[in-house]
Amino acid sequence: MSENLSACMMRMVETDYALSDYQSDIAPRWCVGCGDTAILTAMQKLCRDEQLAPEKTVCVSGIGCSSRLPHYMNAYGFHGIHGRALPVAEGVKIRRPDLDVFVTTGDGDCTSIGAAHWIHAIRYNMNMTVLLHDNQIYGLTKKQASPTSPIGQKSNTTPFGSVLLPLNPLTVTLGVANVSFVAQAVDWIPDLLYDILKKAFHHRGLSFVRILQRCPEFMQHRFDDYVRDPSKMRILTHGNGLRLSPEVSRVYKNQETHDPLDMGRALAIAAIADEIPVGILYNDPSVPCYDDLRAGERPSTPALVETVLREEFDKVTIWPDDAEPVAAE
Amino acid sequence: MIKQTEGSQAVAEAVALCRPEVICAYPISPQTHIVEGLGALVKAGDLAPCEFLNVESEFAAMSVAIGSSAAGARTYTATASQGLLFMVEAVYNASGLGLPIVMTVANRAIGAPINIWNDHSDSMSQRDCGWIQLFAESNQEALDLHIQAFKLAEEMSMPVMVCMDGFILTHAYEQVDMPDQAQVDAFLPPYEPRQVLDPAEPVSIGAMVGPEAFMEVRYLAHAKQTMALDRIPEIAAEFKEAFGRDAGGLVRGYRIEDAETIVVALGSVVGTLEETIDTMRAEGVKIGVLSIRCFRPFPMAAVRAALARTARVVVLEKSFAVGLGGIVSTDVRLAMVRIHVRGYTVVAGLGGRPITQDSLLRVLRLAVADELKNLTFLDLDWDIVNRHLAREAATRRSGPIAENLLRDIGSGARPTTAGKAQP
Repeated sequence: MSENLSACMMRMVETDYALSDYQSDIAPRWCVGCGDTAILTAMQKLCRDEQLAPEKTVCVSGIGCSSRLPHYMNAYGFHGIHGRALPVAEGVKIRRPDLDVFVTTGDGDCTSIGAAHWIHAIRYNMNMTVLLHDNQIYGLTKKQASPTSPIGQKSNTTPFGSVLLPLNPLTVTLGVANVSFVAQAVDWIPDLLYDILKKAFHHRGLSFVRILQRCPEFMQHRFDDYVRDPSKMRILTHGNGLRLSPEVSRVYKNQETHDPLDMGRALAIAAIADEIPVGILYNDPSVPCYDDLRAGERPSTPALVETVLREEFDKVTIWPDDAEPVAAE
Repeated sequence: MIKQTEGSQAVAEAVALCRPEVICAYPISPQTHIVEGLGALVKAGDLAPCEFLNVESEFAAMSVAIGSSAAGARTYTATASQGLLFMVEAVYNASGLGLPIVMTVANRAIGAPINIWNDHSDSMSQRDCGWIQLFAESNQEALDLHIQAFKLAEEMSMPVMVCMDGFILTHAYEQVDMPDQAQVDAFLPPYEPRQVLDPAEPVSIGAMVGPEAFMEVRYLAHAKQTMALDRIPEIAAEFKEAFGRDAGGLVRGYRIEDAETIVVALGSVVGTLEETIDTMRAEGVKIGVLSIRCFRPFPMAAVRAALARTARVVVLEKSFAVGLGGIVSTDVRLAMVRIHVRGYTVVAGLGGRPITQDSLLRVLRLAVADELKNLTFLDLDWDIVNRHLAREAATRRSGPIAENLLRDIGSGARPTTAGKAQP
């Protein structure tokens, strides 16, 4: 009770965060035209619109170009070990469930060296927002094929083209037990990137957002066809998903009404190869969060401890026959 | 053939000349150019038959290497820093199984704090893992050591780590003498495994061994490393005969015959030390350098013999045992037991801090005058250190050290040698 009160008081005193309140004094060290910049901007706008207190917000990353993001957010940051962003974020969240935790991880960090943690983080379904910055190449080590690189992709480790089918982060995530929220965004439609991040943030559970992003240095023309031709983008809309503004709707006419509870269709959409689906593929708010399951397992808040203790004491309380129970003062 | 090339490229070409059959790696700076060079050679068909596998992590890289080596393939990988640490469980497994894998470690600091620059922390963290560890002084020696490494690994049936300084060697363009295929083929015979997964002679590899024989298996690893102490100089001599170059071996002295002070070091800093020593020799100081080229097995007798007649030893090392001091120095002091030599440890170049001749001259002059402290950190900026210690004394929640220090010296700036630095 007193906690809520002080939180309310804090909120009354400290409202009106501006965009600049989420910008750190370090200038981003990303190449000109890097998709990471659009994602950073969308995150900062989200924080402002949700009026998230910077001191109650945490950005956790691993290693890679995208993992530099925590340095550029004025919030708590943790630039960790390659592939370990998700477990570090789990550690933060389990100790401080009151903090809003964002994870920024790249296709190398998440789908390659950190793949084991990725699968289990989905299964734990802790309440956090995970942004997979997927430029389909290792950028920080300067152009080596990643697990999501398209077949035939030439790189410094695949000089004659990658021979393996790329891993599809959407179908993989949708296939894991306890998955509760999967979406896809692209860096070149900032309005939808923002809307999707907002949906992801408001979902209780692990929201996984794969963001296809351009790498102007090593994947120069990878998404040119999609950027130039809006009909190649399939926008997923629904009452429980994205609702498009007239401006976006006018440009992106290739739309599909998709119920985010429809797992069968979500899997089919995730596997689409010739178009890029953008929107909420799957969202089931009824999937239990690890946070809630743990709460049921062992009381951890003072209020819960008190409730359980009272129940236990009531079992052994003997009321005198001739007296009515008297409510405690 | 004499050519001007990058250290990484030279190593890639030398490894290719050794005809590896499986190469597996995950990119990490400053190792990337080596495996990229090999990837290009494999994909172009210039290195055949050879499989190049882009694995999903260093842990996978070493695990794949274990599998392919057990299946009878000459196997190579390369890594650095965090990558080496991530594969550690498999690194011990490879040596425990006695699989002759050759791995380049492009030496780089270990985080946190994140740092991509050179020191020897990564290799030194694995000094007890059962691999042979060779250190290269130059790009030419890095190239030559790889050719020797395959021969040594396969003869002894144990894995070999070739350590070369990240960026200082891997990214430096230097003139190297690249042997031709016929020369390497004559020196390095085809791989004849001691143990192999072969349907004609079925075996299992990876037995569980209890208290009844575990110590014996471990002792045999030590016994074999001891045997390698004899074989390593022999292979270096054979190499010199075949290629006409001095490379490898256990230790190499420079102007140590009459030296009253000997500086012991590993890797590329030996070159800087030699020039520094020349300056001091010109001033009449009797000083020399001992380069340890083979750190595991540790050449106890060779180091002892080299130091036997000197008055003082300065171990200059790019590694650091937190809570103790030097790592190399501890081993060197073991070699100095019962010989009366004054010993100093200078920890230098951590995380890429430049090791300049000026700084070396300053500490070595102090050492020669026996005014040096037993443990010295070259060019440590005491202002930065003391400022933080004061902060910790004043505030319980003083915050993360690295971030505080960056803020103290100006946000985002990379620490460099400070003007006010004193040994």
